[in-house]
Amino acid sequence: MSNINIDSQKTNTYDVIVIGSGISGGWAAKEFTEKGFKTLVLERGRDVQHIKDYPTTNMYPYEFDHRGQMPLAVQQENPIASRCYIFREDAAHFVVKDNEHPYQQEKPFDWIRGYQVGGKSLLWARQTQRWSDLDFEGPARDGFAVDWPIRYADIAPWYSYAERFAGIAGNKDGLQELPDGEFLPGFPLNAVEDHFKGVLNKKYPNRHVISARCAHLSKPNQIHLDQGRAKCQNRTLCQRGCPFGGYFSSNASTLPWAAKTGNLTMRPNSVVESIIYDDKKGKATGVRVIDANSKQEMEFYAKIIFVNAAALNTNLILLNSKSDRFPNGLGNDNGQLGKFVAFHNYSARISAEYDGLLQWSTDGRNPAGGGYLPRFRNLHKQETDFKRGYAAGFSARRSVNRDSSGVGAALKDNLVKTPLGPWQVGSHMMGETIPKAENFVNLSKDKKDAWGVPLLNISVDYDENDRLMKKDYIEQLSEMFTEAGFKNIKVNDSSQAPGLDIHEMGGARMGHDPKTSILNKWNQVHACKNVFVTDGACMTSTSTQNPSLTYMALTARAVDYAVKSINKYEI
Amino acid sequence: MERRLAIKQILFLAGGMALLPSCLRDTGKSSIALQTIDVSLDQEHLLADISETIIPETKTPGAKSLNLHLFAIKMLDDCYAKEDQELFFKGLDALQDRSEAQFSRSFQKLTVPEREQLLLAIEKDEQAEPAIKKFYDIIKSKTIEGYLSSKYVMTNLVVWELVPGRWNPYYAVKSA
Repeated sequence: MSNINIDSQKTNTYDVIVIGSGISGGWAAKEFTEKGFKTLVLERGRDVQHIKDYPTTNMYPYEFDHRGQMPLAVQQENPIASRCYIFREDAAHFVVKDNEHPYQQEKPFDWIRGYQVGGKSLLWARQTQRWSDLDFEGPARDGFAVDWPIRYADIAPWYSYAERFAGIAGNKDGLQELPDGEFLPGFPLNAVEDHFKGVLNKKYPNRHVISARCAHLSKPNQIHLDQGRAKCQNRTLCQRGCPFGGYFSSNASTLPWAAKTGNLTMRPNSVVESIIYDDKKGKATGVRVIDANSKQEMEFYAKIIFVNAAALNTNLILLNSKSDRFPNGLGNDNGQLGKFVAFHNYSARISAEYDGLLQWSTDGRNPAGGGYLPRFRNLHKQETDFKRGYAAGFSARRSVNRDSSGVGAALKDNLVKTPLGPWQVGSHMMGETIPKAENFVNLSKDKKDAWGVPLLNISVDYDENDRLMKKDYIEQLSEMFTEAGFKNIKVNDSSQAPGLDIHEMGGARMGHDPKTSILNKWNQVHACKNVFVTDGACMTSTSTQNPSLTYMALTARAVDYAVKSINKYEI
Repeated sequence: MERRLAIKQILFLAGGMALLPSCLRDTGKSSIALQTIDVSLDQEHLLADISETIIPETKTPGAKSLNLHLFAIKMLDDCYAKEDQELFFKGLDALQDRSEAQFSRSFQKLTVPEREQLLLAIEKDEQAEPAIKKFYDIIKSKTIEGYLSSKYVMTNLVVWELVPGRWNPYYAVKSA
């Protein structure tokens, strides 16, 4: 552009630009800066420094005005955010308020966002499971979406690489469907979780309950201490930000690590409007940014751009990056950008009571949250009337039978007694959903946000496969609970909208063929080789595993490839 | 620091939580700043007596010294819908009516056993009118919540740990 002088172009030029500082952006920053690349990380939200900016982290329950509950007026102003379990007094400051960042819902979709340095990595549920070939081969075997251009062998070493640095607690369970990793000691199951595991072992040969694998430092290695992190202290107050760095977040781990190299420039309050494509050079040259506070427009330039804005915002940025070469959005030659969005079906839970094993309770807190049932439906072949399957959480805790009847001194005495009641057990469903062209995001034709960026229009819904799968989850879990002797089984078939799972994926999927996918097997935009997408937008299918670990591994792998390509002058 | 200390001393500690005093307060107005409801000083004193009947001072602090009534008022102010707030105040009046009808005296003039008797009667009255029922549900549940989550209880009686530092999945207890 003629009005930008050479000097400012120089000062605004980096080797790499990473858009977004959440889980995958943090990893991109770490990898590039470690390899000596001057890296600019753009974050649309405010800065959040590890520990210093966790204002509630050491607060006691009685220090919260409403003991954690959000005031009614705030709930009424924020119906979407209020449906998210994180939106409570201790962590609401890390969740986007509805009015500040509106979007259009063609169909109900609860879009939960964390606009700050670290993004949702501060808030995530920290569950980390590898995919196996049973997942990567899913679309090809079952005839949906497109074939994943990678297999387990391609990503396995990168899982190991990510796990060693992030710190993943888990056991080597020896399951084909959930490959083992580089684990720190797992958090053991309690008596009733073990009981349920035993019942399944006996009665269902392919159903397993394992200790949930999670990104917590159960026993830190030197690499974790070097990050300034310490052993997880079992606070389970993770959503506030952890002063020990006991769980993995960009703030505690990758970003300070990247900063230490001297190669990181972090720019919060930077709303990326679009990626700049140079028709003559045939590649992207930088990004256009609106300063979130001053609303001033500026440009930054780099050889390589990593888009890690979180799945749907990555779609928004690519769709809004229009040029003569890409009139429908960067890399969108086939018109598929924004389509085939999928998510995880979290809309059913089941709970019950168990009055056995009353000689046991628990002490302290389990940051892993309990047990995990990997997918067992349609694992090796199609067996049911729906495609794919679901994983499930499973946890048990002793209830407290507090007597709160009456008034006066007797009540006062009773309240501080904590006689143990039966065990309460619960499970929640994590169902794979099938990506479809009808589930899409696109740009609002007429509405823009406060920074002049078109609003995202979201049109995503459940389908018949999701309903049949949910029915099966409810039936199977009820049966397994009954087999385990659990009583008073209650099903909660919530009508929660997609989105509340906070596992939205796809829109810029990976694939072999540029005609049917946006990214290649290296997460590289088929038609614009110096732009990479390694967040949830890249996902060809969703499987059932919590996705973050896969984003970490894909990001490290893509950076490795990008660096080798630069060194070979390929991009 | 001096100033901070001074501010601390004028804050009301409701079960450990700091509440702002109502500024420039009119005589007759509640002692804490409120957003959506009006509570007179008389009503505040009455609520204090009701909370104290639910959680009385014994060898350990009760509702009044822990300011649980202020916590309940704060919760009513910020976390309840308008219709619940209206029912609450209607129910508070209805409670006084019951006191007058049964004992020919206002609640505050009752002895402690009479106060307990009156509240217990409401708790057990399945036919109670919606207002008094709602009132009782709110004042009792918030008094209890305030008590159990008070600094006093959480540091002395049922200790809440900020940093447990342990997970014992098999903790032996006496079977029920």
